[in-house]
Amino acid sequence: MSGPLVRIRSLRKGFGARPVLDGIDLDVVEGEVAVLLGPSGAGKSTLLRCVNHLEKPDAGFVEIGGELIGYRYRRGALHELGPKAIAAQRSRIGMVFQQFNLFGQFTVLENLIEAPIAHGGGREPAVAHARELLDRVGLAGRENAYPRELSGGQQQRVAIARAMAMRPRLLLFDEPTSALDPELVGEVLAVLKDLADSGMAMIVVTHEMGFAREVADTTVFLDAGRILEAGPPAETLANPRHERARAFLAAVR
Amino acid sequence: MLLTDSETARDADLLAARLSPRRRPGQWVAAAVILVLFAMFVHTLIANPRFQWDVVARYFLRIDILGGLGLTLWLTAAVLVCGYLLGIVLAVLRLSGNVILRSLSFGYVWLVRSVPPLVQLLFWYELASLYPRLSLGIPFGPEFLSFNTAHLFNGVLAAFIALTIDVAAFSAEIVRGGILSVDAGQTEAANALGLSRARILRRIVLPQAMPAIIPASGNMLIGMLKATSIVSVIAVQDLLYSVQLVYNQNYLIMPLLLVATIWYIVLTTLLSIGQYYIERHYVRGRGRRARGLLQLARENLPLFGRLRTDLARLS
Repeated sequence: MSGPLVRIRSLRKGFGARPVLDGIDLDVVEGEVAVLLGPSGAGKSTLLRCVNHLEKPDAGFVEIGGELIGYRYRRGALHELGPKAIAAQRSRIGMVFQQFNLFGQFTVLENLIEAPIAHGGGREPAVAHARELLDRVGLAGRENAYPRELSGGQQQRVAIARAMAMRPRLLLFDEPTSALDPELVGEVLAVLKDLADSGMAMIVVTHEMGFAREVADTTVFLDAGRILEAGPPAETLANPRHERARAFLAAVR
Repeated sequence: MLLTDSETARDADLLAARLSPRRRPGQWVAAAVILVLFAMFVHTLIANPRFQWDVVARYFLRIDILGGLGLTLWLTAAVLVCGYLLGIVLAVLRLSGNVILRSLSFGYVWLVRSVPPLVQLLFWYELASLYPRLSLGIPFGPEFLSFNTAHLFNGVLAAFIALTIDVAAFSAEIVRGGILSVDAGQTEAANALGLSRARILRRIVLPQAMPAIIPASGNMLIGMLKATSIVSVIAVQDLLYSVQLVYNQNYLIMPLLLVATIWYIVLTTLLSIGQYYIERHYVRGRGRRARGLLQLARENLPLFGRLRTDLARLS
């Protein structure tokens, strides 16, 4: 495919009078891992949530694989899509949340097959794929456990498998390790690294600098709704040009 | 430091001593008083001939009483099902982003909760005096069909409508509270997976709202079962009205009221058991162990099947 997988252009979003995203331009190509860094309140999560239209941008647009997200362009206007069309777009973008958000009344397997079945895939192939994914995140054999019976790290790995169940082209991670006990962070980051190595395009909001250094193709530093720096981690993390980025990196290191 | 012989001897005494729990004579006295009162209550039920238990027994399974019982049962069931469906719709409207829909739901709940159910019942029963004819047509335009309201609204239909409207208002609040108790992240994750709004409500949100909805609903269902007795004022032959018809002829008021009372107790007990099983069904995945009905009875009825441990705890 020509051109980047994700194109974000002049994206703006405010909550009330407060601007949260103040003109974001960002490209992510196939197989790229982009890590969003920045102080809390910088707009990292909002940017991520605009990518699958969980937040509606006030201006600008997001395109994935050449397809506008959440809107249709016709005769000089962007018309918001209906809930069905938006749901179809979201199903091709996986998202993993800080608080896991597994469905508590479902078993692990039921969590994974809910979306594929809802989209008409049939139960048998959904179950087969779910078992493959559980094996991949190291949870084979836990199909019938309920989320509450699992550790935080295991829950987050189930959530990653669930996000993969619709065979997305892009995965979004919103601080996937921030709600975990320190000793459980490693197992989740290992799964992320495995996915990155397999060529999955990912946008990751995280405070794990080691992960950013090792796995990211691009690190993007946000502050007050703008991108201050973006580039390979070797440059942006080692020699940040902006004072704000230097101060942040010094604080989290 | 070395222990002296006397200290070692004292330690040995302490270690050999029997543990004697504190006595609670007050609890013994209270238990005795309650048991005596309970015995008096049972005694008067049996010994007072004016309860006329033979009459109760004679009428308990009579065909017209059972007919009234049947009407009470299906009216309760129909009102509950329709009332809850309407209540879920109202709860969803109340939580929608559209201010008109939200106000509609709020206004409905406010109005219906403000009017006593008996008044609502009479209102629907007497609707014919307000609108003698009902017609189906284009608003302010021609009409295609019309009915005489007096023929349309017999007592049973008026009772069904009035009670359904009442249940809808209360269940809307119960369901809304249940939906709000579900973490917003659940809806968000379901949205991110591309599930439809209807499916999110049906598969993700409502099942997780059930543990919050069921106890209050069980309460309301039992209240509704008994509240159906108000339909007796518009001559609908429910359980209460059936016994009233009998005692108006033979003046055996007390025994016949006892017939109705015992039936209400039986139905309520059955509903409570049903509620227990539904609650147990919805605790899955919540990490709580489901308890058997017998165990539940043991925990709540102190003397049920474990007299000795209970008495031991008292002493």
